[in-house]
Amino acid sequence: MTALNPAKLRNHTLISCLILFIVLLPWIPLGHSSNYLLRILTTAILYMILALGLNIVPGFTGLLDLGYVGFYGIGAYTSALLTIHYDLSLWVILPLAALNGALWGVLLGLPTLRLTGDYFAIVTFGFSELVVLVLRNELWLTRGPMGLPGIPAPSIFGHTLVHEWEFYYLILFLLLIVLFAVTRLEDSRLGRAWFAIREDEIAAQCCGINLIRYKVTAFAISASIGAMGGAFYARWFLFIHPDMFKFWESILILCLIVFGGMGSIAGTMLGALILIPLSEILRIVLPQELFNARYLVYGFILVLMMRLRPEGLIPFERSRAAKALKTKKRIGSATGKEAV
Amino acid sequence: MKKLGLFLVMWMMFIGSASAEVIKIPVAGAFTGPLASFGEGIKNAALLKAEEINAAGGIHGKKVVIVLEDDLCDPREAATIATKLANDPDISIVIGHLCSSSSLAALPIYKGARIPAISPASTNVNLGKMSPYYFRDVYRDDFQGLFLAKYAKEARGLKKVAIFYEMNDYSMGLMLAFEEKAKKLGIRIIGKEAYTADTTDFKPQLTKFKMMKPDAIFIPGYAPQGTLIVSQAKDLGIKNTIFFGADGLDDDLMVKNPDAEGLFVTTPFLPDKAGPRAAGFIKAYREKYGKDPNWFAANTYDALGMAVAAIEAVGQDRDKIRNYLASINSKETAYKGVTGSTYFDENGDCLKDAFVKEIREGKWVSSEKQLQ
Amino acid sequence: MENLLEQSSLFLQQLVNGITLGGVYALIAVGYTMVYGVIQLINFAHGEIYMLGAFLAYSMVTFLGLPFFLAFALTIPVCAIIGIILDFIAYRPLRNAPRLAALITAIGMSIFLQNLALMIWGSQIKSYPRNILPKVFSEPALIFGEVSISWLQVFILSVTIFCMIFLHLVIHKTRIGAAMRAVSQDKTTAALMGISVNRVISFTFAIGSAMGGLAGVLVGLYYNAIFPTMGYVAGVKAFAAAVLGGIGSVPGAILGGGVLGIAEVMGAGYISSEYRDGISYAVMIGVILFKPSGLIGRKIGEKV
Repeated sequence: MTALNPAKLRNHTLISCLILFIVLLPWIPLGHSSNYLLRILTTAILYMILALGLNIVPGFTGLLDLGYVGFYGIGAYTSALLTIHYDLSLWVILPLAALNGALWGVLLGLPTLRLTGDYFAIVTFGFSELVVLVLRNELWLTRGPMGLPGIPAPSIFGHTLVHEWEFYYLILFLLLIVLFAVTRLEDSRLGRAWFAIREDEIAAQCCGINLIRYKVTAFAISASIGAMGGAFYARWFLFIHPDMFKFWESILILCLIVFGGMGSIAGTMLGALILIPLSEILRIVLPQELFNARYLVYGFILVLMMRLRPEGLIPFERSRAAKALKTKKRIGSATGKEAV
Repeated sequence: MKKLGLFLVMWMMFIGSASAEVIKIPVAGAFTGPLASFGEGIKNAALLKAEEINAAGGIHGKKVVIVLEDDLCDPREAATIATKLANDPDISIVIGHLCSSSSLAALPIYKGARIPAISPASTNVNLGKMSPYYFRDVYRDDFQGLFLAKYAKEARGLKKVAIFYEMNDYSMGLMLAFEEKAKKLGIRIIGKEAYTADTTDFKPQLTKFKMMKPDAIFIPGYAPQGTLIVSQAKDLGIKNTIFFGADGLDDDLMVKNPDAEGLFVTTPFLPDKAGPRAAGFIKAYREKYGKDPNWFAANTYDALGMAVAAIEAVGQDRDKIRNYLASINSKETAYKGVTGSTYFDENGDCLKDAFVKEIREGKWVSSEKQLQ
Repeated sequence: MENLLEQSSLFLQQLVNGITLGGVYALIAVGYTMVYGVIQLINFAHGEIYMLGAFLAYSMVTFLGLPFFLAFALTIPVCAIIGIILDFIAYRPLRNAPRLAALITAIGMSIFLQNLALMIWGSQIKSYPRNILPKVFSEPALIFGEVSISWLQVFILSVTIFCMIFLHLVIHKTRIGAAMRAVSQDKTTAALMGISVNRVISFTFAIGSAMGGLAGVLVGLYYNAIFPTMGYVAGVKAFAAAVLGGIGSVPGAILGGGVLGIAEVMGAGYISSEYRDGISYAVMIGVILFKPSGLIGRKIGEKV
């Protein structure tokens, strides 16, 4: 179609190199710090997955979910408890956790998604706080503040995962699954309906989009991805505790997608890749007292991004789906309908 | 010292070569954050002990370097630190962690990497059992709770006790142990209320207690909340009630609070009841830091002493050190340090004596009545 | 088995505790509701102003050696100014931006301020040294049998009532108050009538923040615990109170604050102390879902 664009070519080469580097990382001899680095990257990729999940709600439907960590926590505890009590395989647990997350997404979403943006944000926030409270207090279920230590690691074909690089490849694999799902969604009828809702709810309604149905679906899918991330987390960290699922996590994940670009998949991933290792760098560079306040940086990033570049590093507008949407708009205006 | 440690770790990370002329021993605990005052004793004692060892020539000529690892008593930080340490081939033993929840999080990682750890402060009941690589030179919460119940009954004659505990491993473990023994001894538990680490308003529950008129209120929690509880109790007009707690209340915050007058706690270490070996330690600590060592400091001093003895005897092999520590298992083979004789049982736990001290006019004094 | 007298004493004492707490929530809630009224923004950072008020008074007393009441009086205008600055640098530039952007900015500022306080003052809980506070505060003022009301509680209640009356007078008897009411009804028309909307908004922030900061000083005194994350929980609860009363309505915020404070204390005392915070969240969610206009507020329709 268009002539070969040198800038595009350079971008693609860059991205391919990056991907190659990421995939081959465990084989690069980095001496004794390699496990530490792998752990950081595993964390970054886990957050990529979480961010992709969260991205669906504000990114694709324009609503702000402040309670995302609730689903993360539900997934983690589902995974941990099922493993501890029933010794299920990770491959059974992942879909179960996803389903549980989706269930809660529907339960929470149905009554709340008809609210306006502000109220919705607050209610989701209240939800995640209640989840933490339940996790902390229902000792018979979750052992409360004593946490769940000693969660068995997952095993693949009989081999129990022990090394960091094994978990690394596992999370990469999960990322691929989630990426596939999300990109397909972006391009699907579901995705286009979501974008329509994001652009203008009322116009979308007039076009016959059943708002509640699509919103709840988005919310449920977002929740299930969050829960899946949690399921992995429990069986990687091998110890979970209610305090790991507080509101800060929701803010952190929100920061990743705001920084990277709300609605844009590439942006979300880039956001995670930059900001999560940033935390470790801060730990090394800052004295401990300042490191404890590192969320200051994340708060600052949120404010700064909204002020200077609210569309994020890789804006949604550059993504394929956005281009498809614009095409539709142009066609719409050509036929005389008002472009929204 | 910390900056030096930081620099060494960084250097190690980026060059990837093993440094040869020093022996690094990490000390993990909360050195900043709300529980930092507990970590202070640990830090001070570790640095003091290292200084003394280096002054005496180090371990076979190599200097001991203390690397402080701050886990903020947060299980996630603890796990991150544990991974870092476990992957560092120069580290063969860890002194830590401070809080039981941190120890629980770090434990599987140390176990996987077969690196031994001695905790000077984690009292949770399960730790020793969960790993052959985890030792501690502080007593367990079930022992502490038991002791407190006996002391409450026999030395103080308390009959009606209310318990105000925090929702965490430490506090709940202690509470359960106390309750069980107290019931057997005939002490009535007239009320139990819970709070979380970020609670600051204790008045509703204290009001409930006030109406029940307890002889004593047991606070198996940490000092930041303990100090608020006693003050708010005073505000509510609660009188004729003794407060008591355990090692978690052993902190300046309590002692400096005039409303805590008469409060007593169990402690593994009392400077005036400690043996002659302790006198030198107490004097050196006072000279260097201007205050008396608390039990965190004393336990850390001994834990480090044991670690150094192990390295001296068998070198820097992780498994060999672990086995050496496990061989300290009887009165004869015990490590004789400032906290008395320390030896481990088959789980890596140790049973030490407990003492009682109380607050009189802004200072800790040993209680007249002790249980021995 | 406790007898009836003991039971009613317990109830009354808890009621006193609840009303005191309710007064504090009302002071904070009023700030939320006024700002929401004029710019339809949930000022997430409002809780942090409350926290800063507590820290400022504490610092003035312990580091500058000022007497408590002077510190108390000085904190109020300082917090008002902080509120104005907050609006100016964070919210005003986004006045015409989508709501989502403003909400995210508010959250970002909240996080930023919390951690800034953490950096400045550290995470250890701060308490006023006992000898600095006026001795009279610890004494009980009124005693009915087992029920005692301390002077401190009386002080808090009086300040709260005074503020409410003051606020009422400002809103209903002054020009700027009328301007506030106009802007919250219809911003565009108010501007057309010659009202400087930005000035009114700044003023709203000033008053709201002043009250929030004041509440912070009072709470810091009452529990004698001051720490950087205190604004977070109190902020949520006060917001729940504002929603309960009807967001945008000042009398609603006051009522909501009182109800929530009493409900929380009663819940903690009688039902479950572990789920104490959950009461606020549950109330908030319940009100939003079933009666979004709250107890007093008006219905908010969606304009097409």
